[in-house]
Amino acid sequence: MIRYWPALVSVLLSVAAIAGYTTLLRVPSIRNHPELYLVAFAVAAVIAGAATWRAARWPNFVALALSAVLLILGGYFNFVLAKIPPASSVLRVGEPAPDFTLPDASGAPVSLASFRERTPVVLVFYRGAW
Amino acid sequence: MTELGDQGVQIIAISPDPNEKSQELAQKLRARYRFLADRDLAVTRRYGLLHAHGGHKGQDVARPTTIVLDRHGIVRWLQLADSIQIRPDPTDVARAVRQLPQ
Repeated sequence: MIRYWPALVSVLLSVAAIAGYTTLLRVPSIRNHPELYLVAFAVAAVIAGAATWRAARWPNFVALALSAVLLILGGYFNFVLAKIPPASSVLRVGEPAPDFTLPDASGAPVSLASFRERTPVVLVFYRGAW
Repeated sequence: MTELGDQGVQIIAISPDPNEKSQELAQKLRARYRFLADRDLAVTRRYGLLHAHGGHKGQDVARPTTIVLDRHGIVRWLQLADSIQIRPDPTDVARAVRQLPQ
């Protein structure tokens, strides 16, 4: 078993990358760098690939297959599924934000203009919790 | 984000979520947010922030965006996400707010 430590390291690295990213999702520096888990999967694949090259045994193949699948799925998610197509926002730094009126939680209408000359505003558009 | 409330800034969060749902979220986060419901995404669309079919059921959603307006309603800082994984870092937003002209 001892000779399969590179395969073991490879699998542990992949598992740690997934566990780390999901548990630290609330930490902005982790959340906003999803490429980090791809780097981990790639390193895991290189380790498993080297181990397979040296000894074509099943534990090495399993580690290689696992890291390769994770790398492909993770890459597909990051670069294809998660991408937002570019669109032309009307917002320009230095220009006024268009006014709007929307209902708040109690149903009362709130207009952006009502904050003007009173307080700065942080406007957050989010996808919704569904 | 709660520290922003202490700086005398109004945080307005806009989504197509119905109001009851947003209120639940606000209580869960104990956030000083004012949640506004843009049910038909009309404002989101007017701002050019629509992510068509971006929802997990293929429904239209908003592109995650954070905008800092000074007290005259002028855009001073802006972060448009190019991936649904990205969320604004509260530290960056707080910095942008601190740098607003008084």
